[in-house]
Amino acid sequence: MAKPKIAFFDFAGCEGDQLQIANLEERLLDILGHVEVVSFREVATGHSDDYDVAFVEGSITRPEDEVRLKEIRKNAKVLVALGACAAIGGINCLKNFMAENVYREEVYGAQARWYPTYAARPLKSVVKVDAEVPGCPIDPVEFARLTKELLQGRTPWIPDFPVCVECKQAGNVCRYEMGRMCLGIITRAGCKAACVTQGAHCWGCRGLVPGANLDAARIVMDRAGSDRKATQDLLRFFLGDTGAAL
Amino acid sequence: MTTYTVYKEQLPGLFEKWSRKYALYVPSRLREGFYDLVPWKKDLEIAWDYDVAYNSAKRFVMPPQEALVSFDRRTYEAAAVFEAPKQILFGVHPYDVKALNQLDQLMEGGSPDQNYIRRREATVVMAFEPLTVSASAFWASVGAASVAHGFDLYWTKIGPAAFTVEVGSARGEDLLGMNGPLLASTAGDKEGARRAKARILTKARKNGLRYNWEETPRLLSKCWDSPLWRRYSQMCLACGSCNLVCPTCYCFDIREEADDLLEKGVRFRVWDGCMLESFAKVAGNHNFRPKAQDRYRHRYFRKGKYIYDKIGELGCVGCGRCVRACTAGIANPLKVFNELWEETIHEY
Repeated sequence: MAKPKIAFFDFAGCEGDQLQIANLEERLLDILGHVEVVSFREVATGHSDDYDVAFVEGSITRPEDEVRLKEIRKNAKVLVALGACAAIGGINCLKNFMAENVYREEVYGAQARWYPTYAARPLKSVVKVDAEVPGCPIDPVEFARLTKELLQGRTPWIPDFPVCVECKQAGNVCRYEMGRMCLGIITRAGCKAACVTQGAHCWGCRGLVPGANLDAARIVMDRAGSDRKATQDLLRFFLGDTGAAL
Repeated sequence: MTTYTVYKEQLPGLFEKWSRKYALYVPSRLREGFYDLVPWKKDLEIAWDYDVAYNSAKRFVMPPQEALVSFDRRTYEAAAVFEAPKQILFGVHPYDVKALNQLDQLMEGGSPDQNYIRRREATVVMAFEPLTVSASAFWASVGAASVAHGFDLYWTKIGPAAFTVEVGSARGEDLLGMNGPLLASTAGDKEGARRAKARILTKARKNGLRYNWEETPRLLSKCWDSPLWRRYSQMCLACGSCNLVCPTCYCFDIREEADDLLEKGVRFRVWDGCMLESFAKVAGNHNFRPKAQDRYRHRYFRKGKYIYDKIGELGCVGCGRCVRACTAGIANPLKVFNELWEETIHEY
């Protein structure tokens, strides 16, 4: 079987997810041995439009992004959204809660009207997305695992339960028991509860867990006692494109 | 059973000796109000009056993730993987010992779980009579205040610097005697231990079931259609916290991962829980407990009836961990069972 050809693309984002893949360092060579990379500008020069799998990072924030993304979709057999911006819109969606003239002037100053831009959105709002690697940034270990599962012809598995599960596995003291706010109760696991384990709380970067009970979560967060504005800010941080932020 | 009296000043020496051969875990304060069993090191302050260990002892005999089989994708060869580090769990409360005993019965029954058994055999359990009762605990009312077996040594604090140590196994006695001859407890010391037990029982009984725990299976069999299940489960976040912190929940998922060259791989198990939405999902995407209500009820039936039907005791030891862990405030076997009792009391 010929090696699958893969290419990396990015839209509005920091390219941090591709950097995470580059951060696999010595493991990268073993994994990349199974594929042919035709485009990965953080790691190698050169580009080709002949590819099977497109890994696409970043969110869609301009009308012309749509044209480019649709072209990628046409060329690729499999399109994978890489990271929070691509999968759920990510922090780019923060601007969706501001007036258009305000954020445009904030970013482009006096030249604002030269640049067309619209509400930030995930890839799936524009084209069909076959798979998502969630997280801000993505977890390189998870990326490696998902890639290997695809290479073996298996259905890639990502957790469909909230971060709480991984917190309990790690033995962390629950942020709510400490009187703090945390989005782990509605956020998809897979990060090994990294932020909580390091002493912070969950920000929701991996998106909503399927079937998240948002009504109950609201009550739990209200009971935790932080003010509604703080809760809303936290929900809009990564989950701006979901129902949770409303 | 032999009982020895041991003084606090002897402990550092014993701990030091034990820690050379075993991974030694002792109760310690994590932060205000939170305690856990942590690796012992010199000068670590032991939290004698801890109310409940944040994490149950389950993780020492059934870790959150554990390799079971290693395999070679090229030759189709596979080999069992066993890991069983020698460890001492010092200061385990009796309800947690009972939970371990229950796991023993369940894991050894049917097809014995070799990975579990090996870990359990390598684990020395030193029980400790509690001095404080957690606000959410109710172990005294579910038959989990005392254990007759399952420990190698049973420590009871009978004074500011003295303990009685009941011997539960030859291995335990050998460990205790590592630093020289032992002092048999006097009748007075034994009386002190009995009083310590009585004192903590009085505290623990303040929070409990309103009926004899042995009625629970019969109670539940009348409550399948109770409106309670829906009332509580509306708030369920399906996060599985109640399962994962439970000292007797043992369900796991099995997954595997290949190495980066796709040549070899490992099959491993990870903790799972029946409150997670996809727990009961089977081939064809069918889910036989699709609603929060089904899952919530299942957990209480599991704790109050199904385990009882297997081994004659409740699947709940009343440690109260799930009560604390549930952010939605709905995991509470004591409250649920008591409310069901109230609901059906006229039927008795």
